[in-house]
Amino acid sequence: MTARERAGALWRRLSWTWNPASERESGDAIVRNLWLHWFPAKIARASASWNYSLWLGVASVILFLILNVTGLLLMFFYVPSTERAYGSMKDLDYAVTLGWLLRNQHRWAAHAMVAVVFLHMARVFFTGAYRGQRAWNWLVGLALLLATLLASFTGYLLPWDQLAFWAVTVGTNIAREAPLIGGWIRFVLLGGSEIGQNALLRFYVLHVFFLPAIMWILFAYHMWRVRRDGGLAAVEPIRLARAVQPKAVPATKSYSLFGLTRGTSVVVRSSTELEEKDEVFSSPNLTRRLVLVFLIVFNVTLLWSLLAGAPLEEAANPAVTPNPAKAPWYFLWLQELVASTTIPIGGIRISGGLIGGIVVPGILLSVAAIWPWLDRSPADSEGVWFPPRRRRQNLTFTLIFAVIIALILIDVFLRGPYWHLYWPGTAWPTMPRSL
Amino acid sequence: MKATRRWFLGAVGKGSVALAFVVQLAAAARAFLPNVLYEPLKRFKLKQPDQYPQGYTFDADHRLFVVRDQERFHVISAVCTHLGCTVQWREDEFACPCHGSRFRSDGAVTGGPAPRPLPWYEVSLSPDGFLEVDSAEQVEQGFSFTPPKGKA
Repeated sequence: MTARERAGALWRRLSWTWNPASERESGDAIVRNLWLHWFPAKIARASASWNYSLWLGVASVILFLILNVTGLLLMFFYVPSTERAYGSMKDLDYAVTLGWLLRNQHRWAAHAMVAVVFLHMARVFFTGAYRGQRAWNWLVGLALLLATLLASFTGYLLPWDQLAFWAVTVGTNIAREAPLIGGWIRFVLLGGSEIGQNALLRFYVLHVFFLPAIMWILFAYHMWRVRRDGGLAAVEPIRLARAVQPKAVPATKSYSLFGLTRGTSVVVRSSTELEEKDEVFSSPNLTRRLVLVFLIVFNVTLLWSLLAGAPLEEAANPAVTPNPAKAPWYFLWLQELVASTTIPIGGIRISGGLIGGIVVPGILLSVAAIWPWLDRSPADSEGVWFPPRRRRQNLTFTLIFAVIIALILIDVFLRGPYWHLYWPGTAWPTMPRSL
Repeated sequence: MKATRRWFLGAVGKGSVALAFVVQLAAAARAFLPNVLYEPLKRFKLKQPDQYPQGYTFDADHRLFVVRDQERFHVISAVCTHLGCTVQWREDEFACPCHGSRFRSDGAVTGGPAPRPLPWYEVSLSPDGFLEVDSAEQVEQGFSFTPPKGKA
């Protein structure tokens, strides 16, 4: 064999999964591949559509993957010590070859992930994809959303700059507002009563191990549920059109997590109800798109990281609070809430830390969690964008989303020193950033 | 379930293994409540009374204001009672950069989300002539301390 032929053979071996020659090869490509065997051999054409899911879930997983890889690499250059953490950032930016790129990509991928996860949630809501047995996966998704926010919060603490220090201060003081156990929670989070080495180390271990581990487990479960629930909700209109109801099939041993769960098995729901013309082979239809989405997402974060540096404020300084001190954009609406929800009742004032920091987010989360059971819209409004018979629900959700975005925009552009409102065009007074 | 001796002994056996496991988990969790805190003392010395000008002086190390009115002193915390940012003195009031709380010169809330007034701390004179603050001891608004003449 010539070198050229050997290279050709190698290329066919590597690209075989994406370029199967027959239906049998398509099936084999999924089943026999370690990385692909968790996909079904065939998926509904509707599920693979770009327009239906916008591939936001896949994009958030790819961002999470990028975060894991860049994060692991960053761990070689970061010392979780209050004395050296900030120096680690400066080393990455100025002393480590391309360290700035690593740090930028980690930070921007994190920002992107928060945004994409929120958009994914909006997509699932607008398509009514949380109904029936998919309700449980909606709850898993909410848990993943919370974990994503916690991961980003613990992440931006690690540089131990001013943003980090005042975020820990405010964040743990919101926790302190929790009734009865608030003080105890703060003490455990900080590992003491003041913000110092214990706090940094605790948030570090949460960030690099516990939160990612929880997220990978939840992610695996999220994906398994998607298959168990019969694929994306995009297939429901097809099922409905054919009046094919899910058959009551007894639980089988296969795919039932050591027999712990009951209900229809994956194989039954995903393969028997759709007709052959509704389905396509996962290889290459799914795998090619996965690669394409990966390349797009990766290159967008790369380009973003080449063009913009990750934020880094002055080193943490307990004596001086930056003026104004603003959280990252995805927490600004909460900052606006805690700043404006203190209410006087009789002689006492109930702190905005409790109302805006705990009660309001708690209510929002609870309402989101029970929404699948409040939803009474008809079956034909599942798995399609903006169905007319879900208009009121979609408007409610849009309104909440719009208020959150409006609060974020107000805080980004209009809140100046001492949290005063400054209209666009008015100059902010300059405030000293150190004593 | 029939409560036979075999069932009972089996339950005691499995139960004690399970209990031992749970207790070990709790024991491991207990480590996260520190027994020793390497934190600054709540009672600390400031400068000598003479070294303070009239009016409000910010002490960055301890995050408080030393207020001197003639020979009388009092100390007001600079930690916002809302969510803990450091308030700043602006000629006639305290203002917080994080969420916009404002306080009168005596610490009373005049605006923004702060739920409580800024606390006042007990001030005394250490034997070697320095102002001494006990931040674990809050005192009423209007408290003042006049260092004895000759000592300061």
